[in-house]
Amino acid sequence: MNGMYVIFKKELAGFFQSSLFYFLSFMMTILLGIMFTTSMEKFAQSSSNAMLQFGVTPQALNIHYAVFLPHLSIVNLIFIFLVPALTMKLLSEEKKVRTFDLLLTSPVTSLAIVMGKYFAALVTILALIGVSFIYLVIARRVFEFDWGPTLVSALGIFMVAAVYVAMDLFASSLTENGLVSFVLSIVFNLSVWFVGALNESFDSPNVKAVLEHISLNTHLAGLIEGTVRTNGLIFFFSLIFLFCFLTERVIESSRWSD
Amino acid sequence: MIEVSHLSKNYGERRAITDLNFKIEKGDVVGFLGPNGAGKSTTMKIITGFMAPTSGEAKVCGYDVFLNPIEVKKRIGYLPETPPLYPDMLVEDYLRFVAELKQVPIEKLKPFVDRALEKAQLTDVRRRLIGNLSKGFKQRVGIAQALVSDPEVLVLDEPTVGLDPKQVAEIRDLIKELRGEHTVILSTHILPEVQASCNRVIIIHEGQIVAQESIEQISKLSSGTIMLNIKTRKHGVLESKLGALDGVSHVETLNSQQYKLTIDDDEDVIESVAREVMNSGLGLLELAPAHANLEDVFLKLTYGQNTR
Repeated sequence: MNGMYVIFKKELAGFFQSSLFYFLSFMMTILLGIMFTTSMEKFAQSSSNAMLQFGVTPQALNIHYAVFLPHLSIVNLIFIFLVPALTMKLLSEEKKVRTFDLLLTSPVTSLAIVMGKYFAALVTILALIGVSFIYLVIARRVFEFDWGPTLVSALGIFMVAAVYVAMDLFASSLTENGLVSFVLSIVFNLSVWFVGALNESFDSPNVKAVLEHISLNTHLAGLIEGTVRTNGLIFFFSLIFLFCFLTERVIESSRWSD
Repeated sequence: MIEVSHLSKNYGERRAITDLNFKIEKGDVVGFLGPNGAGKSTTMKIITGFMAPTSGEAKVCGYDVFLNPIEVKKRIGYLPETPPLYPDMLVEDYLRFVAELKQVPIEKLKPFVDRALEKAQLTDVRRRLIGNLSKGFKQRVGIAQALVSDPEVLVLDEPTVGLDPKQVAEIRDLIKELRGEHTVILSTHILPEVQASCNRVIIIHEGQIVAQESIEQISKLSSGTIMLNIKTRKHGVLESKLGALDGVSHVETLNSQQYKLTIDDDEDVIESVAREVMNSGLGLLELAPAHANLEDVFLKLTYGQNTR
């Protein structure tokens, strides 16, 4: 049987059999529940007397911009802290309880170990995005709207989360200590957003262009508008590839040290 | 089956093992013996492909562990010093996971898991969480884990640590049972373990092999001399008298009644010692010749001759 699939299956079972996943999705639904109802109420109010209001932007009257995007951006905010909680143990715990010895003496490649764990975490994240879609599904039963832009934005959030998972898996491979890996992961997740902010500090147009291209913001913005651009997808995939590759190198390097 | 040639491993400046050479045939049960820190675990880690050697090569079933690690790992069951257990898995699920990792065909999974449970006597705890088991049971899950894929080569790093005496005896019997069909390497610093279950022994000290023999041969290593323990009824001084006898090479006075002699392995010498003690009138209470056992050989080889 394929080594990657065996590890994927075991990790996935680990995620869904542990209370952590259910606790995290419970916390997520509480936060999202509060935010979704308030923004929905606000939207209902402003759209009911739109004629009387002056200077209301057209975006405030579009449910995609007024309700669904804030909803997904909260999902993203939650993921910055929640993805590290899910991934922190993936490799650091293996090192700590020495089960790493078992994996490294089994006929599986380092790549299979990384990919098995990566996809298991990714499916779990997909399930959490599914949980956040409960609100939209319920809203759809009450009134009509177009799924298209919302699904594309959700794809954007999923791609960003996939980048988080890759970075956090890498963080987990660096240490034996779950807490260190957790904190490091949060630093990684936040830093991809701050790279874009550095833009302001430089005058050179070349540096500005580079920073803009390596900022997640730029690439996510396109998806949020409902447009799928290949350069954005390539950017996401190359970040994922980079960090998975680094993780694979870290695992492989443990054969060489003591 | 296992061929190790010119194997060396350095940890930075420290040399863990230097220029190891040995060969293990199919069906052998080999004891890897040495004091703590002698390089036993390091050698085992290299054989299992867990770690790369600094120089030299190791071959398992004809495959180089460095060039063809996947083929080697398919054929090896490994129990590290700390059993690699997931505390949040059931014993049965864990063994199934290991069997799948070791690429056991799907139709053989269940019989293999059942067999490993039975051999390590874990059938009663198969539905329990590993984290809730006692240390002895965890060690047995570790052994079951090494056995589960029915590997050609078993590498066990101190398999009986943490077990009670009855379990130790059971594990030794289990290892004995494996002799012939599986090739087993087990490391230990407990000597009776090697005597009980191995047919060959490799003694390693400070990263070098100091002896590799079959069990029968190794006890003959120090032949030519035997130890003689003497106890007298009355107090007295006999050291110089006994030392003057032909064939007595060394006399150690334990107290005024007890002596330990190193003599040539010859019945005449024993007789003359006995006569000497009788003549002294101190009264002979005990005269016990002791043939060198593995322990003496081991200490002699690893710590030098004059420590006992």
